[in-house]
This record gives sequence, C-alpha cells and structure tokens, in this order.
Amino acid sequence: MSTRFLWIIWFVGTILVASAALARLYVGGDRTAFMPGETTGVHHQIEMSCETCHTSAPFASQKKIRKDINKTCNECHKDELKASDDSHSIKKFKNPRMAAYWEKIDARFCTSCHLEHQPEVTLAGLVTLPGDFCVACHSEGEQDVRVNRESHAGLGYETCATAGCHNYHDNRALYEDYLVKHANQPWLKDGAAHPGQAMARARTRPNPAEVELYLASVVAPEVGRDDGIEGHWAGSAHASADVGCASCHAPKSETFEEIQANWVESPDQSVCASCHRAQNKTFELGRHGMRSHPEIAKPRSAKKMLKRMGMKDPPEALLAAVETYLVDPAPAPLMSTSEARVALHPDAHGQDLTCNTCHTPHQVDITYAAVESCLSCHSDDHSTSFKDSPHFGLYEAELAGDLPPGAGVTCATCHMPKTESRGVITTSHNQNETLRPNEKMIRPTCLECHSLEFSIDALADPGLVANNFSGQPTRHIESIDWAVRRVDQPNQGANQ
Amino acid sequence: MSVKFGKIKAAFLSCAIAAGATAPAHAEMDYETVTDLLHLVMSSDRTVYTRMIVNRLAVQEGVIKASEHYMDDKALVLPAQMFRYGAEMVAEETDEFSYSLLSLWPINKQNAPTTPMEKEGLEYIAANPGENFYGEEELGGEMYFTAVYPDIAVAEACWVCHNEHKDTPRTDFEAGDVMGGVVIRIPMDS
Repeated sequence: MSTRFLWIIWFVGTILVASAALARLYVGGDRTAFMPGETTGVHHQIEMSCETCHTSAPFASQKKIRKDINKTCNECHKDELKASDDSHSIKKFKNPRMAAYWEKIDARFCTSCHLEHQPEVTLAGLVTLPGDFCVACHSEGEQDVRVNRESHAGLGYETCATAGCHNYHDNRALYEDYLVKHANQPWLKDGAAHPGQAMARARTRPNPAEVELYLASVVAPEVGRDDGIEGHWAGSAHASADVGCASCHAPKSETFEEIQANWVESPDQSVCASCHRAQNKTFELGRHGMRSHPEIAKPRSAKKMLKRMGMKDPPEALLAAVETYLVDPAPAPLMSTSEARVALHPDAHGQDLTCNTCHTPHQVDITYAAVESCLSCHSDDHSTSFKDSPHFGLYEAELAGDLPPGAGVTCATCHMPKTESRGVITTSHNQNETLRPNEKMIRPTCLECHSLEFSIDALADPGLVANNFSGQPTRHIESIDWAVRRVDQPNQGANQ
Repeated sequence: MSVKFGKIKAAFLSCAIAAGATAPAHAEMDYETVTDLLHLVMSSDRTVYTRMIVNRLAVQEGVIKASEHYMDDKALVLPAQMFRYGAEMVAEETDEFSYSLLSLWPINKQNAPTTPMEKEGLEYIAANPGENFYGEEELGGEMYFTAVYPDIAVAEACWVCHNEHKDTPRTDFEAGDVMGGVVIRIPMDS
C-alpha cells in the first residue's frame, strides 16, 4: 500500500471521526466540553441548557446578541426588576442623549455589568466590573456625587455599593427622602408582628367534629387507604377546603371506579400548581425550582436536531438509535440537593426539590416548612445559628401561645415573605426577592418590626448576619444621618 | 400655526402612529414638521394632565397630593414623571424617534443637558421666548435631527413645586416662564 494511499485513509478517517464526534455533541450529546467557564451562583442549575440564554442565530452581530441576551435575562428577572423600581433601568439609557454614557458603561445591556462564564473576575451579584464602577458616570459634571453631596466628598467609589448605602438596581429602602422619613425611630416596635404571617397563622383549623365528618367522607381505593395519613389530612386546611384524596391522586375523576382506575400514588408538582398557581410561579423563579421555569430550554429532541442538520424526514431507525445513544443529559427536570453549591448537611444530599421536599404532603404543616425544612438541609453559619437567635425565641413563644400570631420570626418570614392582597395571602417562593443585596429585605420584612436605621446597620454587619442577628450591630452606617443633615440644610447640592 | 390646522396635523400624525410607529416619515414631510407634530401631541397631553389632574386635584381642590414618590405616598405622578414614563415607554418600542424633558435648572440632575446641542437649544429657547430650536448632531456614531421646544409654566403647580423643592437650583419661576424644554430627536440615517 502506497504512502499516498495511507495519507488519504488517514485524512478521510480523521474527518469522519471528527464529524461523528461533532454531530454527536450537536445532536444530543453531553456539551460540558464546550463550557467556556463556570457560571455564577445558581445559574449552574441551567448552565448546560445553553439555548436558554444563547438564542441568537449563528453569526449574529454583537449588538443583536447582546439584545437577545437582555431578553433572556428578563425572562426570569423581569418581575424582580420591575418590583425594584429599578434605579438604572435599561429604558432610561436608550435615548441617544445618553450616548456619552454608553462609552463608559453601556447600561442598555445587562452583559455590560454581568458577564457569565467569567469566574475569575466575578464579584457578588454576578458583577463583572471592578467594584468601583460607579466612578464611570458619577464622578464628573452634573452627576458628580462629590459635588452634589458634601457628605460624600472624601468617599471612595469602591464604597458606594458595598457599605449598605446604594444598590445599582434596588434602592427602595435607601433613597434619600425615604431615609429622612424613617429617621429617629426606635430600633424595635412595640407589639411587633409581621401582618402576612399573622394572617396565615391565625387561620382556623378544622375542629374535632369537622375532623370526624371529613374522615367519614374519605373516598379512595384500598391501595391508598392509611389511617395515619387520613388523620393528618382531616386536620389540614386541604380538608376544610374540600380538597380530598382524589383531588390530588386522581384529578378529574368523579366515581369510585374512575378514582380507582386513575389513582396516582405520588402526584407530581403540577398537581399542587393547579391550585397554588402564585406560589408555583414564584417557586419557578426561585433557587429551588428554577429548572421548572417555562423558559428554560428543554433537552434537545433527536428529531428537531436531525432536522436542523438537513434531515427533514429522518428514518425511524436513525431516530430510535439517536434517542437511545444520544439522550441530552441536561437540564435535569428537577434540582437535586446533590448538585447544590451551598453548604448542606451530608445526609441532606440526594433529594429532588419539589413541593413535597419541604411540605409534608398530608399534614400541610406550615410550621414545619417555615423552619425545620430549611434547617434539615442548610448547614451554613447563618442557618445553624438560627435556633440560638432571638428571632427563634420569639417563634417558640408564639407557638407556645405566649405571643400573638406573626410575632415569631422563622426562616420563611425573611426569605419567603407573605403578602396579602384582597384577603388572599401569598407566600413568595422566590428567595431572590429578599436575598442579595440584602437591603432588598428591609422593606418586605425588617421594617415590620425594626427601624430603618437598625435594619441598615444590622444587614451591613457580616458577623451579625452570620450569627443570625444574635446581638446588636457593631457598625453604624451614616446614610440616615447624612440625609437628615442635608434636609436641615437644603441649600447643599441637589437630588439624584 | 392655527389651532385648527394644528388639530388636523395632529390627527394625521395619530393615524401615522396607529399604522405603525416604526414606519418612516411621509416622503413629503420634513423632519421639522414631524417633530412639530410630535411636540403638539406631547405638549397638549402634558398640559391637560398638569392643569386638569394635578393642578385641579392637588393645588385647587387639595384632595390628593402629587409626589415624586407617588407609590410610597399613594399620590399622583408628577407631570414631569408622567412625561418621562411616556418617553421611556416609547423608547422600549422604537428607535425611530426619542424625546425627553430637560432643563437648565433641573430638580433631578439626570434631566440636565448632556450634549452640547441640548445646552445650546435650551439656552436659545430661554433667551428667545416663543421660538423653537432646530439642529443636527452626531451621537453614538449616528446623525440626529434635534428639535428643542420651550416648556412653559402653565399652572400654579409647576412654579410652586419647582420654586419650593429642596433640590431646585432656581426659586423665582413665574407663570409663563420657560422652565425647560422638550427635546425630540429623529435619526437621519435610517
């Protein structure tokens, strides 16, 4: 065999093997090798679902790609940004009069400040600019804060967003007039209680006579009968709301025969979501349920990918082979504690996160979901300190009947606050709403019981956050003092 | 421009906008006419909101406040905010034109002029009451037709608030004064 022929075989073989490998990756194989760098925070849950964020057509312009990524950021973060009364919303920067600012930081695009896959330069909040980024726009001309605010004259720009004073997006609890309005208040209110929690916990439960009535009304096939489960259910809000066994285990079934035929031993999350829509929507936006969000790209289907490769009508055998050997491994439909990148107890691993992970399915005991569920997994300092904190002491007193409903503080009080609208209480299952920057927590939760000054100081004290607020803040943020002083002497500077 | 003629032009413009905000201006309509018509709609709506909502309810009848923190204070949106929110909504929908309400004496510093032409235009309309300013400028690598129209103190609510606000750089506004200007831009290359 001639050398030339061997070269041809080598060349063709290499091309074939490379094509097969690339086709495998494109059609449905594991694409981990393509990851340009680790993603930040909880984005790792969806990082292998590339099409969730990267929606632009191949070879699209840089501007088009950035616009498209804006859209995908908004799919998940839009509600949060809207609720935050965004201080630097994109629409404020679209007017061409802001062109000079586009040269500094182009605030029309999320990716100007938040670049993914750049772990080596990523700061808290997925910020990929240097920590003193405010200097770009607020250090000269009309926007020079050192001129506008006498109190700011000697401050470094690295302190703007790191000292409990300002956030780029959410300043609802930090704007000047709000600081002035909430100055000089006692650190703790008399008879403090969270109204949403109070309403939820004051809700009446079935009395013994009603429990008997509910137990007598149970309709379920033999396989689903269990005295213990039925006892728990009859004492729950589900029983008093006429949500029986079949409502979840055999939805839309009316006769006993239909219930028996359609009985599902372990109903999935969609059954809960069919009634608890608001909770489910926030769950899908939160850190536990984001993989269920409707805008997360689904695993690639073999038929669709083969069609993209030019096979309009692929043979069944090829489809079957692709589906057998090239199943898209990502994203898994549910987040598992095994994949968590926060501190968890060793025995908490291996659980998929659904409604039932935190809510015991028949008891529907909100006291369990409000504390014990969280602490059964999370093992960071803040979590493990909770039961030694004054907040938990109040909760124990409330459970013992020594304090009124809502006076106690649970994990859920702060991280999953309840809101009331037209008599309906909704628990937000999106922890991001109050998590970081932690000043987001001030208005929905802290201010129900504490002063603004105490809240700002406490949240700016990392040691106090770590020990779960056992004690008083060790540092004082002067923002309220400065704001009050400026209002007393209103001829200094001008408002933002 | 007579009031009647102005109304006819405004109606034509409304139809044009309804037909599609991204449609190019009519071939026979120059930039100046388009910005004049856009401004007519803007200033009419702005005057109606200021006089019939804010001045009537907040100043004359005193039944509700108008506040820049309207959500927290459960109050009316200020006329300047009403105008800005409309401009921002337009900016979300189209790049075919943009507008803003600016002043040489802004309470909110973000409404101070940011381009040399904005400053020139605002100074011109303040020095020449009743006149508009037109020009062309390059921003972000693109040429724009820029028109600046005087924004006049039409109701007590305007000058009272601006004269008394803690952050105002000017405290002697009176009825009929030019307090700022509406800047409208149309990209010339598209």
